[in-house]
Amino acid sequence: MLKMSHLAKVYRTEVVETYALRDFNINVKEGEFVAVTGPSGSGKTTFLTIAGLLETFTGGEYHLDGVEVSKLDDNARSRIRNEKIGFIFQAFNLIPDLNVFDNVEVPLRYRGMKAAERKQRIMDALERVGLASRAKHYPAELSGGQQQRVAIARALAGSPRLLLADEPTGNLDTQMARGVMELLEEIHREGATIVMVTHDPELAARAQRNVHVIDGQVVDLAEDPRFHAASHLADTAS
Amino acid sequence: MEIRPILSTLRRHKVTATLVILEIALTCAIVCNAIFLIGQRLDHIDLPSGVAESELMQIIPVGIGKQADSHARATADLAALRQIPGVTGATMANQLPFGNQSWNSSIRLSPDQKLPSLNSTIYYGQDVVRIYGLDLIAGRNFQDDEYKWWDDTAGDDSLSPHVGIVTQALARKLFPNENPLGKTIWQGTNNIQIIGVVRTLTRPNLRDVESNGYSIIMPLRVTMGNFAGFVLRSRPQDRARVLDEAVATLRKQDPRRVFTEKRTYDEIRKKFFAGDRSMTVLLATVCAALLIVTALGIVGLGSFWVAQRRRQIGVRRALGARRIDIVRYFQTENFLLATIGIALGMVLAYGINLLLMVHYELPRLPFIYLPAGAALLWLLGQAAVLGPALRAASVPPVVATRG
Ligand SMILES: Nc1ncnc2c1ncn2[C@@H]1O[C@H](COP(=O)(O)OP(=O)(O)OP(=O)(O)O)[C@@H](O)[C@H]1O
Ligand SMILES: [Mg+2]
Repeated sequence: MLKMSHLAKVYRTEVVETYALRDFNINVKEGEFVAVTGPSGSGKTTFLTIAGLLETFTGGEYHLDGVEVSKLDDNARSRIRNEKIGFIFQAFNLIPDLNVFDNVEVPLRYRGMKAAERKQRIMDALERVGLASRAKHYPAELSGGQQQRVAIARALAGSPRLLLADEPTGNLDTQMARGVMELLEEIHREGATIVMVTHDPELAARAQRNVHVIDGQVVDLAEDPRFHAASHLADTAS
Repeated sequence: MEIRPILSTLRRHKVTATLVILEIALTCAIVCNAIFLIGQRLDHIDLPSGVAESELMQIIPVGIGKQADSHARATADLAALRQIPGVTGATMANQLPFGNQSWNSSIRLSPDQKLPSLNSTIYYGQDVVRIYGLDLIAGRNFQDDEYKWWDDTAGDDSLSPHVGIVTQALARKLFPNENPLGKTIWQGTNNIQIIGVVRTLTRPNLRDVESNGYSIIMPLRVTMGNFAGFVLRSRPQDRARVLDEAVATLRKQDPRRVFTEKRTYDEIRKKFFAGDRSMTVLLATVCAALLIVTALGIVGLGSFWVAQRRRQIGVRRALGARRIDIVRYFQTENFLLATIGIALGMVLAYGINLLLMVHYELPRLPFIYLPAGAALLWLLGQAAVLGPALRAASVPPVVATRG
């Protein structure tokens, strides 16, 4: 479903070049639930934005659903984002001037869907996240957890095959975080592929597979020398 | 398109949206009326005189009262003027269209009619029809033996030539659906038989649209003692030289002569309509200024909204909006604001027009100005919002994750 090989991403500013990703390799299979962890600044968000075609990369290859995406033009990328990918952001990113219904409708409108079908899908999605009764509310009138559930409904409404979530529970308390996590697990059980960045080890543990990113690279914790160095120290101490 | 969500977004920004709408409405109303007024003035400025404007000149000497030999002097002056190379006609006449100095009379259909039928201006001078270049559309011109000296006939109707040539406008007013030729009209106690009709000969001074064309030409010669001026005709390119030579010739005839005017017909027209022209320029300037201010307002608001919505534009892009969808969003939003503004503006335009009708006797604003004004403001709005819309479309989707 999502395969990156030797991917590199360099941010160039006037003074420095930052290698946000280097020789980055990952293969997420259809239907997997992958949690991405790693220290701050290690490149997790960079990976997710490239995976979601929000940004281009500087080297290597990225196949999404078998398509090499670096060859696609801007319109084709928009179309893939719209049809195949659902985004869930840490900051919810609901449009403050639109009510819940209209927010969930945004990606469906860009798909050129008929009004009746849109309405059906919006109400189904809101039903799923338990917020059908709040359709006429504005984001500012909802709690953080509710806003994130609206964002999930918005990501779900278009029935994407891939859900990308960047710290979806980062702005929520434990209670609300657990609710959102349960929702994601439910969506996963229904067949969606999910890639979720998180700082929370407890949530990461609930995913099928964990990918650890350090310094812009995916590392296997068992083989990483830094990890071994730490355990070696621990051994000698005992 | 996404009209409903755009409208509900605007509803949450009522104050800003209302300001733009009012600005567009006001501009629409004022520009519609101003363009209408400009059109009126331009029609006025273009009013035909009926004379051969590109070939005529006028020289007005200072009036010197009665002279015993005024007839002989006038005859000699004109004979000398006709000798100037390039002169195709020279006469003395009391007035020219748009020349400001005007001789008028009440005209009746019978001497005992209580109220006059109309007021007409009266042109005097030898050979006026030919030299002015008038278009004689019915009847005949005067014969040489019909001409008399104006001061010979003054005060004695029996000496009057009793024939006249009238304009089509006057003939139609007095004799609608009848042949005016042979009909008699009365200037006070003097009867005049209509022997010819010219298409157009406008008054020296304008009144209202209907009576601007009421003119009568009489076969009477006038002199300097009758406040008459010299009218000369030549090819257009000869006019400047002919004018100079004519003044020199007239000075040679009488060195003490002083002239108040020496001008081509173009100058006469230009001076007469100078006020209308500057009013037109003023109105056009006001229109342009209003349109520019409105356009700048739209650009300003557009830029402000693009900056304010930067994040949501990124989110929309992340959710699948193409660049063109973002451009269209701003265009649709502007179209909606403009449409509401224009609808209000039309009502306001009619209101202003009603006021002008009541206070300045202006005609009703023709319907065509409304769709024309609407189209103008729609185009203006779309042009003004294009820059901000394109800037919005260049907001990268990554803004959704990085803010
Ligand atoms: N637009 C940019 N220009 C320059 N450098 C950037 C830009 N975006 C990210 N970086 C750098 O790339 C590196 C990876 O950033 P990224 O946001 O992917 O980290 P992260 O793992 O998501 O961190 P966090 O856990 O704090 O969210 C960082 O060093 C960051 O400073
Ligand atoms: Mg991050």
